[in-house]
Amino acid sequence: MAEEHGHGTVAASAATEERVAHAAPNYYLIWLYLLIMTVAEVVVAFVSQLPQTWLILILLGLAVWKAALVAMYYMHLRFEPPRLVMLIMAALPLAVLLAVTVVTMEGW
Amino acid sequence: MSAHGAVPVAVTRPMEGMKVYNQKLGMWVFLLSEVMFFSSLIGAYIILRFANPEQWAEPGVVLAVPLTAFNTFMLICSSVTMVKAFAAIEHGDQAGLKKWLLATILLGAAFVGIQVYEYIQLAGHGFVPMRDAYAAEGGPLYGATFYTMTGFHGTHVTIGVLCLIFTAIKAFRGHYTEMNYGGVEIMGLYWHFVDLVWIILFTIVYLI
Amino acid sequence: MSTTQLVAPNVSAQHWADPSHPDERPFIRKYVFSTDHKVIGCQFMFLSLFFLLVGGLLAMMMRWQLGYPGQPMPGGGVLPETMAPGGILLPEFYNSLVTMHGTFMIFFAIMPLLVGMFGNWLIPLHVGASDMAFPRLNMMSFWITIPAGLIMVASFFVAGGASGAGWTGYAPLSAVPEYSGVYMGQKLWCISLVILGFGSLMGAVNYITTIVNMRAPGMSWFRLPLPVWALFITSILVLLAMPVLAGALIMLLFDQLIGTSFFLPETGGQPLMWQHLFWYFGHPEVYILILPAMGIASEVISNGSRKPIFGYPAMVGAIVAIAFLGWVVWGHHMFMSGMNPLLGSSFMVSTMVIAVPSAIKVFNWLGTMWRGSIHFHVPMLNAVAFVAMFVIGGLSGVFMASTPVDIYIHDTYFIVAHLHYVLFGGSLFAIFAGLYYWFPKYYGRMLNPMLGKIHFALTFVFYNLVFFPMHNLGLAGHIRRIYDPNQYGFLEPLQPVNTFITLSAFLLGAAQLVFIFNLAWSLWRGQRAPANPWNANSLEWSLPSPPPHGNFTAMPHVYRGPYEYSVTGREADFWPQWEPPDGRPAPDHSPDGVLIGDQKPASREPHR
Repeated sequence: MAEEHGHGTVAASAATEERVAHAAPNYYLIWLYLLIMTVAEVVVAFVSQLPQTWLILILLGLAVWKAALVAMYYMHLRFEPPRLVMLIMAALPLAVLLAVTVVTMEGW
Repeated sequence: MSAHGAVPVAVTRPMEGMKVYNQKLGMWVFLLSEVMFFSSLIGAYIILRFANPEQWAEPGVVLAVPLTAFNTFMLICSSVTMVKAFAAIEHGDQAGLKKWLLATILLGAAFVGIQVYEYIQLAGHGFVPMRDAYAAEGGPLYGATFYTMTGFHGTHVTIGVLCLIFTAIKAFRGHYTEMNYGGVEIMGLYWHFVDLVWIILFTIVYLI
Repeated sequence: MSTTQLVAPNVSAQHWADPSHPDERPFIRKYVFSTDHKVIGCQFMFLSLFFLLVGGLLAMMMRWQLGYPGQPMPGGGVLPETMAPGGILLPEFYNSLVTMHGTFMIFFAIMPLLVGMFGNWLIPLHVGASDMAFPRLNMMSFWITIPAGLIMVASFFVAGGASGAGWTGYAPLSAVPEYSGVYMGQKLWCISLVILGFGSLMGAVNYITTIVNMRAPGMSWFRLPLPVWALFITSILVLLAMPVLAGALIMLLFDQLIGTSFFLPETGGQPLMWQHLFWYFGHPEVYILILPAMGIASEVISNGSRKPIFGYPAMVGAIVAIAFLGWVVWGHHMFMSGMNPLLGSSFMVSTMVIAVPSAIKVFNWLGTMWRGSIHFHVPMLNAVAFVAMFVIGGLSGVFMASTPVDIYIHDTYFIVAHLHYVLFGGSLFAIFAGLYYWFPKYYGRMLNPMLGKIHFALTFVFYNLVFFPMHNLGLAGHIRRIYDPNQYGFLEPLQPVNTFITLSAFLLGAAQLVFIFNLAWSLWRGQRAPANPWNANSLEWSLPSPPPHGNFTAMPHVYRGPYEYSVTGREADFWPQWEPPDGRPAPDHSPDGVLIGDQKPASREPHR
């Protein structure tokens, strides 16, 4: 990072942010949960006799829950400043709107 | 005299901002744009499937679910190795960083390899994106949406593996310390995101 | 080396200007592959003005055909037979002109001017930073625009010519080469825009991070100049909308290249899906094209009126509201697509609602000027014109928002009038205002004010003569994007109007020569610009013109909002943000930006 002029060259350091002290989550435990939920998904998809709508809701629900685990623990959102989490949450409805709402429109 | 209604005091502390360092904020902001990109592909898939349900086969008939489930498992493992790499360098463990980064690279590369193998197998059975050459169960939209969604995900994984190699090279040169690990952290964020997208895609593409 | 305690993020990572060390960067690092946001802003200026010219020339050719249908165009002999045999424009070429005029103007002129140029020029200086959060990413963001532009230009010269499917690229016309006669050109169009999208995205990430994280001490959110608010919200729109366009373009490209059928009905594809995806991006896109202009107008109008902006919090709220609502109005571009009338009604309502925050802004600009001591300098002339023209464009928009009315006027010249009133009358006049206002800061020279006033007057008059009659043409049933309106008997009587518009357009084009000459002359021989020629308040005016690399010699401190004009009790009619309150010396601070000594907030009493 030492750039063109020598004045005040300081490497950008992650340690300059306020770190919230927290116990490291048990990454292996999360891995186990993810594994169990993946197996559950496959089982539900192939073995259960549920009607289609229920199937989709349960499978998507499991998928979203897994994604949330990855986001909260592996991506550390659980321990980041709340404002960062709010920023991310604020953008998600747009994605959902794009993916889902158009389907409810008639007149194809 | 400063007797003026609009004179605020000088604020002497720097502004807090998002309370995370620039590179981390930048990476999260970038990932939000990636969410929108994948949402557009998934949204298109949903529209096309609702309009032409007969073009989709039952789960497992055309696509190899067991193999892909194993692939999913590998990608999740690579997320664990990635977060272990980050945890290592947070505590200054250089050997741990290198070890876990290499493991992540291997798992990521294996994911891509298996995906490519799967593509070749599928294409051999007539499951292709083109409307003219489609010869598997269902219809060409099934192929088009499958390859677009998984293909772009696979591209993101490949780019991730290349960036991981770059990160590993820097790690082997001792570039990262317990005071300077931002590069590993943001690499990790991208990698976990790629895993996260796959968790959604696997469900949507293979199980529904 | 900074310590690991309470230093805010990235305060220590900034490289301030150092007068004692001469700038020893080689020419190519200083002016070509520069990471300095000011240089990148200037680079965007030259690139975008070039494409503005290109877009304008394309429009002139269109206007020739409409004004003098079927007649050989002067200079048309240089065009190849595939475009204009004997100088007479072919219908296919006309379609390409329509498409590429829109494409170049929107993606390669207005967006890079507002977001690339003004974003780079204004954001770091307005927030009090030494540069953007990611200077190298910033450089890449500019340089990636070059191949995108080259590819777009190249598309004219491939077999089949440039895309002729409109800047909106509706499928299946755009997806099936046999329908349009355009083969490679459409693919190049898609590829070019995907590449451009990357560049915009990188810019958005940079701007958001810089604005959130790198504001100087005292620069709270509600002390930010309005251009920064506008650019911040615009960047969020870019961040979340451009990827959707990328997705749509990629699917269109796959339909053309690989043989998929995302949009081809024969095998189950959905042409209407293109419209939904495109306009889901497209509507936020038009707010991307106007919000920064509104921010610039606020800045110039407040300065030119010597009054604080009226209703600053409402101005911020309106920007946020426009951006927020902008996601749920896209269907108003699709009223004629056959949608369920109930759905049409909901888009109608949301579209009318979105007029409200825009109107709030207009009233606040008027409120700013009311009882102000108005200085009609060239930026002010352009900014006031912006307000007036934007009102006209906005009002025509309310007509279009009403679904039953739109059924009649959709795809007519009424729409063309509306979009040019908001994009030219709106965005472009604001861009001119900003250029005349900030050119001195970045080039160190004033633009000639007399030439500026002549340019403004000519542009204003001819622009209205070109675009106002289009409202009437549209209501009379004149369809847009049409090569030969005279094929319809009921449009034949309108030919004189078209010819009148064409002549006005040529004069409008010629008037821009005044601006080009002013630009070139002033760069070379313009009057040297002082630090603060407009007696303005924001941080950039505290620095020499142009500012040194690294901007400030040390972390600036901000004591008040940016619109403290004509404050009672003060002799000067402005009060810069960086001036400490009366009697207090500027605080000392270490190169890290950490204050030496007392870190408690200062008391209200002047320092004795």
